[in-house]
Amino acid sequence: MWENLQQEFYRFFVDNGASSWWINGVKTTILVTLLALVIGVILGGIVGMIRSIHQQTGKLKILNGISMVYLTIIRGTPSMIQILIFYSIVFASVSLNNIIIGGIAFGINSGAYVAEIIRSGIMSVDKGQTEAGRSLGLSSGQTMKMIILPQAVKNVLPALINEMIVLLKETAIIGYIGTVDITKAATLVQSRTYSAFVPLISAAVFYLVLVMLLTYFMGKVERRMRRSEH
Amino acid sequence: MSTKGEVLIQVQNLQKKFGDNMVLDGISTEICKGEVVAIIGPSGSGKSTFLRSLNLLEIPTGGKILVEGVDITDPKVDIDKHRQKIGMVFQQFNLFPHKTVKENIMLAPVALKLMTQEEASRRAEELLARVGLPDKAEAYPGSLSGGQKQRIAIARALAMNPDVMLFDEPTSALDPEMVGEVLEIMKELALTGMTMVVVTHEMGFAREVANRVLFVDGGKIQEDREPGEFFSNPQNPRLKEFLSKVL
Repeated sequence: MWENLQQEFYRFFVDNGASSWWINGVKTTILVTLLALVIGVILGGIVGMIRSIHQQTGKLKILNGISMVYLTIIRGTPSMIQILIFYSIVFASVSLNNIIIGGIAFGINSGAYVAEIIRSGIMSVDKGQTEAGRSLGLSSGQTMKMIILPQAVKNVLPALINEMIVLLKETAIIGYIGTVDITKAATLVQSRTYSAFVPLISAAVFYLVLVMLLTYFMGKVERRMRRSEH
Repeated sequence: MSTKGEVLIQVQNLQKKFGDNMVLDGISTEICKGEVVAIIGPSGSGKSTFLRSLNLLEIPTGGKILVEGVDITDPKVDIDKHRQKIGMVFQQFNLFPHKTVKENIMLAPVALKLMTQEEASRRAEELLARVGLPDKAEAYPGSLSGGQKQRIAIARALAMNPDVMLFDEPTSALDPEMVGEVLEIMKELALTGMTMVVVTHEMGFAREVANRVLFVDGGKIQEDREPGEFFSNPQNPRLKEFLSKVL
């Protein structure tokens, strides 16, 4: 019985390159997600601010126009097509690591969703907060950074965490540009072993663990931000 | 309370239009150093809009506002610099909920590099003692009563060492039993010689503390006199009607 189990483990997780697929797969999924998260939050933060400043004051017309084009295109096309465009067209003539291409593509994709989350967060902060900041002599930039954004992010943190989880799972399509992530590793093992059950369930478990880790970490951040509510 | 000093704010034919609605219809007045000016009037009369124009939270559509001789309605003027010297207290307090009481008070002086962290901290403690809330330094605004919030808001504005303080209905959002504590702080502030412009429904405060009372209605100053005469011998028929309703 024990012998049998060990044999099965070797078959699915070690032999014929299986071990390196799984290890690389998990590494790739984590790296692409982290890179995309950073790009998505920065890009989304900037676009979200541009959109809400335009909405509240009517300023930044041109930047707002560019932002609208970006949001429309990204949200209106499948992420699968977007990543293929980045791989086969945008970066076709540049020799870039697929993980970086994937991170950029998913980051630009996620930024569009983050932008709308941030915008709704900024719009949810009472107008009196801006007035209080400006009346003390703070510039609009200082008011945004020190008073509005911290409250906005706190208000939309659950939605932001949700978007991060979606992003992590969405990276499962990166196998289409020939990169071995968790999903690709599972299908590779499946095709070598002619057995679907163990590799697919294992892939599911890997994603589940990563999502739970992300949720745990972001939950800590959320609790820290909520400490002002006694 | 104090003798008439030099002119601090000069308002010339101030106008504000929201679409077709003329909210301020040519207001002209002067506010001198050390004066406490109360502004009363029915709701929708334009009194809050007038007050909020004085630090350009509302952008006037006509006229001039000279603060120490500089026309702040001129777009070339750095309004942030002027606002540092014009404190404002709001009806809804507008404390920063994500900052402690002390951080609320220290934020602007430190961010604008007018004080070091230590100086601002000392100033905050001083001001907290002055508004009677020294034990609330580390509390968050969410845990305070309305009256306490407004006292902190006054302390926050004072931290900038302003030349003038604007109060926009500072007691209107308070439970009745908390009105007194806020008015008391404002009264003490007036006694220190602070120039104050106060939009209020508290006739007692206007009568006791103000040097001048303005009655605003229909976007115009209808009456502008010292409080004794203002309340005992009102001239304007609309003021008479207004006082008969509120007194």
